[in-house]
Amino acid sequence: MASSAPILRPLSCWKALLRQSRQQKMCIRCMATAQTPVKKLRPPPPLPSSFPSPYKLTHKGHEPAKKIKTYPPPPSARNKFPTPLVDWTAQHLKDIDPTGSRTRLFAKDNKDAPQPGDILLVTFKTGDPFSGVCLSIRRRGVDTGILLRNRLMMTGVEMWVKIYSPNVTAIEVVKRAEKRARRARLYYMRKPKHDRGSVEGEVEEYLKKRRLIRSGALGIKDPTMSTKRPESSRSGVKAR
Amino acid sequence: MIQLKTMLNCIDNSGATIVECVANLRMKRHGKVGDRIIVVVQKSRSMGDGGPGATSAAAANKVRRGDIRHAIIVRTAKKYQRKDGMVVRFDDNACALIGKNGEPLGTRINGVVGAELRNKQQSKILSLASMHV
Repeated sequence: MASSAPILRPLSCWKALLRQSRQQKMCIRCMATAQTPVKKLRPPPPLPSSFPSPYKLTHKGHEPAKKIKTYPPPPSARNKFPTPLVDWTAQHLKDIDPTGSRTRLFAKDNKDAPQPGDILLVTFKTGDPFSGVCLSIRRRGVDTGILLRNRLMMTGVEMWVKIYSPNVTAIEVVKRAEKRARRARLYYMRKPKHDRGSVEGEVEEYLKKRRLIRSGALGIKDPTMSTKRPESSRSGVKAR
Repeated sequence: MIQLKTMLNCIDNSGATIVECVANLRMKRHGKVGDRIIVVVQKSRSMGDGGPGATSAAAANKVRRGDIRHAIIVRTAKKYQRKDGMVVRFDDNACALIGKNGEPLGTRINGVVGAELRNKQQSKILSLASMHV
């Protein structure tokens, strides 16, 4: 490979030498990367009995394992009562509301159920009746309650009433909202801009009408007198 | 939740209209309906014009701005729960002034008051009030 060039250019021989060595290096690299089969290692042969293993002394691996006594699990209450809270609520509701009228009054599938925005009148076993705009209905099983707001003597008063309370004797719908409220919680009615003010006038009117109907002057049967949604024809709005 | 610096409406005819709470008596918590507090009168109605509301007894007990008086809380904006589960809240905090002996200073109470006053032995104020909830 070396030519006559070195005579003319003494350092040019380096180029040829380096090329040669590079080629050689490549060859060596290829040889080095060729895989050689790995020899599998075998476990060492067991020691002769003259060298006792330390494991054997403590582990007792040669003895059969001791049988541990196992007991069956106690009978599970979950199989007997798969839904304890639901059952308990149903049982409790049956106790406090035997006729189911209060449950039906506020049932979600009841078209005539009171809705936020309606004016409700609640009468109690003890104390004066309370009326007001229903701001929200909180459905929580036996803890179901309604929030009523009214204005008494220039002061806004709000009251949560539990519908299953034994103190509550009746919940009546005095007046439906003209339009369905587009919120479930009408807390904006606390603001002066949206406050309905006193509902005493409407309640007075309702009571007067109820008195007339109960006396039979208008010739209407009592249970159907309650205000009703226009599109619905179901009755039984009142819970007694 | 009536505590130090709370401003209350005074709803009796003692002459004060707005008072400020400076201390809750005999308790370490905030004041509730029926509790006795000490107040400073911040604003008072001008009396003694010979109007029909200015009776002689009221004129004698005239409440001036800056007076320190005892009062009974009758309304709170914080809701409170009753034993039967009902929860009541009012839109404002209000009180009625009383004397050192516990008798109300005013002769009338204009406005609704909480029915808790009965349990707190404040029936006098409850009977003076025109309405209770």
